[in-house]
Amino acid sequence: MSNGKLILALPSKGRLMEQCTAALAKAGLSVMRSAGAARGYKAEIEGFPGIEVNLVSSSEIAQRLRTGKAHLGITGEDLIRETIADADARVRFVAPLGFGFADVVVAVPACWLDVRRMSDLEQMSVAFRRLHGRRVRVATKYMSLTRRFFSQMGVTGYRIVESLGATEGTPATGLAELVVDITTSGATLKANGLKVLDDGVILKSQANLMASKAAQWASEHAAIEAQLAARLRPA
Amino acid sequence: MRDSVGSSLSLDPTYEIVSAMRTAATTADIDALDAEARRLMTAFASAGYERVEPAVIQPADLFLDVIGESLRARTYVFTDPDGAELCLRPDLTVPTCRLHLERHAHANTRARYCYSGSAFRYQPAGAGRAHPREFHQAGVESFAAPDPEQDDAAVLSLIVTALREAGLRGIRLRIGDLGLLAAVINALDMPERWRTRLHHQFWRPEAFRAELARLSSGRAAPGADGVSPLASTLQPDRLVPARGLTPPGDLIDRLDPADPAGAEALVMEHLEKAGVELIGARSAAEIAQRLLAEAADRRERPLPAKTAALIEAYVAVKAPARAAVDRLAKLARSNGVDISAGLHAFVRRLDLIEQGGASTGEAQFSAEFGRNLEYYTGFVFEVIAPALGPQSPVAGGGRYDSLLAQVGAPMGVPAVGASIHTERLLASLQGEGPEEHP
Repeated sequence: MSNGKLILALPSKGRLMEQCTAALAKAGLSVMRSAGAARGYKAEIEGFPGIEVNLVSSSEIAQRLRTGKAHLGITGEDLIRETIADADARVRFVAPLGFGFADVVVAVPACWLDVRRMSDLEQMSVAFRRLHGRRVRVATKYMSLTRRFFSQMGVTGYRIVESLGATEGTPATGLAELVVDITTSGATLKANGLKVLDDGVILKSQANLMASKAAQWASEHAAIEAQLAARLRPA
Repeated sequence: MRDSVGSSLSLDPTYEIVSAMRTAATTADIDALDAEARRLMTAFASAGYERVEPAVIQPADLFLDVIGESLRARTYVFTDPDGAELCLRPDLTVPTCRLHLERHAHANTRARYCYSGSAFRYQPAGAGRAHPREFHQAGVESFAAPDPEQDDAAVLSLIVTALREAGLRGIRLRIGDLGLLAAVINALDMPERWRTRLHHQFWRPEAFRAELARLSSGRAAPGADGVSPLASTLQPDRLVPARGLTPPGDLIDRLDPADPAGAEALVMEHLEKAGVELIGARSAAEIAQRLLAEAADRRERPLPAKTAALIEAYVAVKAPARAAVDRLAKLARSNGVDISAGLHAFVRRLDLIEQGGASTGEAQFSAEFGRNLEYYTGFVFEVIAPALGPQSPVAGGGRYDSLLAQVGAPMGVPAVGASIHTERLLASLQGEGPEEHP
């Protein structure tokens, strides 16, 4: 915590940063980077002297909210739910922001005509293990979302291989049998010979303004949060 | 694995006790734990179990393939400087199986092992409790015994005797028998693949009930049930496009269960027409085979309601062990089902346990017990100490006849084992219980 200011964590790079900056600008909020060495990771918002902006990577935003090192943050719900096991107990979803849409889905090879639902996947995994002598592999960067969703859907006969890039290509290259990945249009999945299972949408994610339940909240912070939320909420 | 000793996440009063013991461990505490572990090992060794020390560090790949994702989420996995994926053992059963297999490639060699050592599990920070990441297990594993009931009874008696000699009083037993469920399902008239499905789903009570409902409603082929619990709570609904191929209903109707080769050809033709490439490890024959099962399901008469009701009634049986036998016998008789072989084995095991010195009068049988302990295949048990209660069994074990094959044995090998959670034993001996540690 620095000098009683409200800490707002914003994405520092990538597409989410661009969209976030655009959304803030549209709401009449202009982010001014600090001068000098702090330029890369600190900023202020014009007209809001009570806010200190921290620029960090998207997944780091989830960590800061979880630990209370930031009061507010803007990041994708997928990253929040992936990084924080008991997300609803740790953060408050203040407002969905209408950008950064991404669906986290379970996708299997389109040639798997016999696998259309999660329950098919479980049955198929039994046969697969008998025939191939190992569990079916799921490539993903969403390891905890995958585990939670699969267990809710009664699917157990799999194992995860962590994949930090080009996940959608892993079934074709033989590194995994299926994937849990994000998609916006489904085109990339289709181009890689994959299809989404009928009940395989884990999360319809978008960028959210989120509040930490672990941070130290002073009375003036709540007012700032309300002002920010009112400006940012899509019309 | 061996979930009964150390994995239950919710409301486990010993976590605080154990954790407090570790951080505040004095020389006396350390000595007490050591002495307890030594006493247990002496008891196991004098019963003829060979002392072994399986490796703490295990190859992640094989281990994780065996234990599945639920425990994998709690296993410490790391990469060494050579890039090899390794893990800290989350229990000692799989390491002991691997050790046996290294000594006897065929695995089907009679052997009895005992061990005492640390196991490691990540404890997701639940409700702000301090959870131990390391705990001790002292246990035994017995492989390739010729008489399974006798071996089950021997292992249980050994554990109960060891606990008693340690000074633990007032223990209660919970027992179950997955072999009996197998007997019930095998005695009922239904296609073999439905039996496989029911056996498989037994571990997941909700999925089991859903499967039973599907089979008895004439919708054996997958229906429209189940919605993502996460997705339903979220955000304005947006359609996910490109759901791949529509369910190939026409294709399934054209498949002939008597002609697998023809089915494979039809599958290839269907894919070609749809412009879909065959990718990955699964062959067209594999895909066709499952579609054929679906085709057969569509033509099958549904499971009679009476049969489904019998299975439900069986699963619901909870009673003292001897009374449970009568209930189960009556249930089977009134439905004209013969499970006498399974029941005889069950009674014989109870008799052998009593001869071994443990009383079965108080043992509580639950047909459901054994669920969530995925690798068990037959007899299962837990020992509950009065100070800790049923949430934190002080020992547990059971029969796992398919595990050795899963870690690489050329065939299934009869196996039964059990372990004592050493910290819990010590906590219950010191009379520390949930009351003193809310």
